[in-house]
Amino acid sequence: MKSPFRAFHMPRLRYKQDGILVQSDYRRTRFKILYGVMVALLALMLLCALFPLFFLFVQAFKSNAELTSSHFAFWPEVFDLGKIVDVWTKIGMGTYLTNTVLVIIGCAVCAIVFNGLLAYGVSILRPRGAKVIYALVMGSYMIPTILSIVPLFKMISDLGFVNTYIPLWFSFGANAYYFILFKSFFDKIPAELVEAMRVDGAGDLMIFFRLALPLSSAIVGVVAIFSITAAWSDFLLPNLVLKDDSMFTLMVKIFSINATMGTVQGITPDMLLMALLISVIPQIAILLIFQRKITGGSLDGGVKG
Amino acid sequence: MPRRGEAFLTSEEKRRRRGGILRQFAGWGVMAPGVILFSFFVWVPLLMNLYLSFFSTKGFNAEEFVGLGTYQELFQHPDFLTAFGNTFTYLGWSLLIGFILPIIIGLLLSEVIHFRALFRIGIYLPAAIAGLTASILFTYLFDPSSAGFLNTVLEGLGMEPILWLDDPNLVIPLIVVTMTWRGAGSTALIYLSAFAGIDRSYYEAAQIDGAGVWSRIVHITLPQIVPSMTTLFVLQIISVMQVFYEPFVMTNGGGGDRSSLSLLLLAYNFGFRDGRVDLSSACTVVLFLIILSLSAIYYLAVHLLKKRGYRV
Repeated sequence: MKSPFRAFHMPRLRYKQDGILVQSDYRRTRFKILYGVMVALLALMLLCALFPLFFLFVQAFKSNAELTSSHFAFWPEVFDLGKIVDVWTKIGMGTYLTNTVLVIIGCAVCAIVFNGLLAYGVSILRPRGAKVIYALVMGSYMIPTILSIVPLFKMISDLGFVNTYIPLWFSFGANAYYFILFKSFFDKIPAELVEAMRVDGAGDLMIFFRLALPLSSAIVGVVAIFSITAAWSDFLLPNLVLKDDSMFTLMVKIFSINATMGTVQGITPDMLLMALLISVIPQIAILLIFQRKITGGSLDGGVKG
Repeated sequence: MPRRGEAFLTSEEKRRRRGGILRQFAGWGVMAPGVILFSFFVWVPLLMNLYLSFFSTKGFNAEEFVGLGTYQELFQHPDFLTAFGNTFTYLGWSLLIGFILPIIIGLLLSEVIHFRALFRIGIYLPAAIAGLTASILFTYLFDPSSAGFLNTVLEGLGMEPILWLDDPNLVIPLIVVTMTWRGAGSTALIYLSAFAGIDRSYYEAAQIDGAGVWSRIVHITLPQIVPSMTTLFVLQIISVMQVFYEPFVMTNGGGGDRSSLSLLLLAYNFGFRDGRVDLSSACTVVLFLIILSLSAIYYLAVHLLKKRGYRV
């Protein structure tokens, strides 16, 4: 899959070696039909996965009059690309996009540095008691932030961090999943390498930044991409913490448009759909650019049978 | 896991590797920021939840110790029973719709060799969409008016329009459909890697014995992916028990009938809408205990089955 054109490469069934059905099965017509059924089923699944997005793409170009009309037409009357610019300026998406980028960068840095350092300590330095920390982190793997969002919000407001990005950034520094990804990589670094650097006089932080992180560049990339997409999508904590409209991220703005629809002058449902479309495009772009890393990463982090 | 070669070291050598008191301090120094962040964002709020649930509260502050009084009030609250039942309805639908589907998709992805990249990326694509975006998009897709997309399709087929999310019997399955749309692709990729990990020689042996497709699936494929299936089964249960975003955005728990209210959404409403932090804390503690006992049952079952020699 290195080249996009490989997608159009036509493999031959009679060379198929892996899986349940192999080359010798496909000499029989019965199995050729079965294969056709499988391709058709998969195409149906693909259609189900892609249709809602295609639907959004088409509907976002409708005018508000078309959307609220009592008769439904699938296609908009005109595909006016000017509507993108129009909605962009009316909602002021530039501000929210800039805010989102600011939040995302901080989140990704925190996700890499803090989970990485903790995993480095637990996996390589292993001071007395590190096992307790490991157990506590693993124990909280399945507990999301939402479960205790009320006390968390109280703590954030007691520290005066309301309406700042600080709690959003640092919340990504406490993620058990990223920690596990890092730890599984650091566990593979030979102790001899660490010892050698130490003999050369390197400190613990130096070893982390010069040895552990570079050797784990693959997993650093995966955590970066995961945290970027997660930070882009995150809206619950940002929605509670950010109070001023000028501080909103794109998702918080979209949520507030959706929640206050009909009460704010000049904001109409068709603008919400266009804003949704604009917000979806970077996420799809990230997936397409980094698809090998993302899908591969979800395999690494997944269950090993 | 012990480091390579560590098993052969004497205790003196081990101690030297671990280093003296300075190295211990340095180790904790490196870990300190992470430990502080985990404490602040995960562990302390969880303990505070437990603490607050035993007190009456004013604003976000504990006032007076009431023992299990808050729990008593919670269990008698009409919304709690509804939310409790709904959460298990979510669970049932989610297992019905969302558990088998990724296995089938994963199997198809591993067997079909044409358009591999297209199928894999395309089916994974919804997982890249934000939960908020998906929820708003599906709310629009499930437009209850007669001019909505799906109702227009139904009308074209000569059927009656449906209220979709406004129908109390349909709302939970439809929210589960939204969740499955986003989640099935990434789960299917995990199964795909499990299928890819099956040794080819098993299939070759079965083929020589003349085993058909069905018996190959039943006797080789499924037993080989049982460990992935059990783990993903439990992970799915745990995550569905915490369903929050979708009902919060799509229906806000439903109107007067609270037809899609989940436990976590109820806790959120208690805390941020009704100013009842005590009830909110008690509600999350109950949810936490349910999740904890489900995980405990899972680990116990796996442990027992492994002891008896089953491959789980």
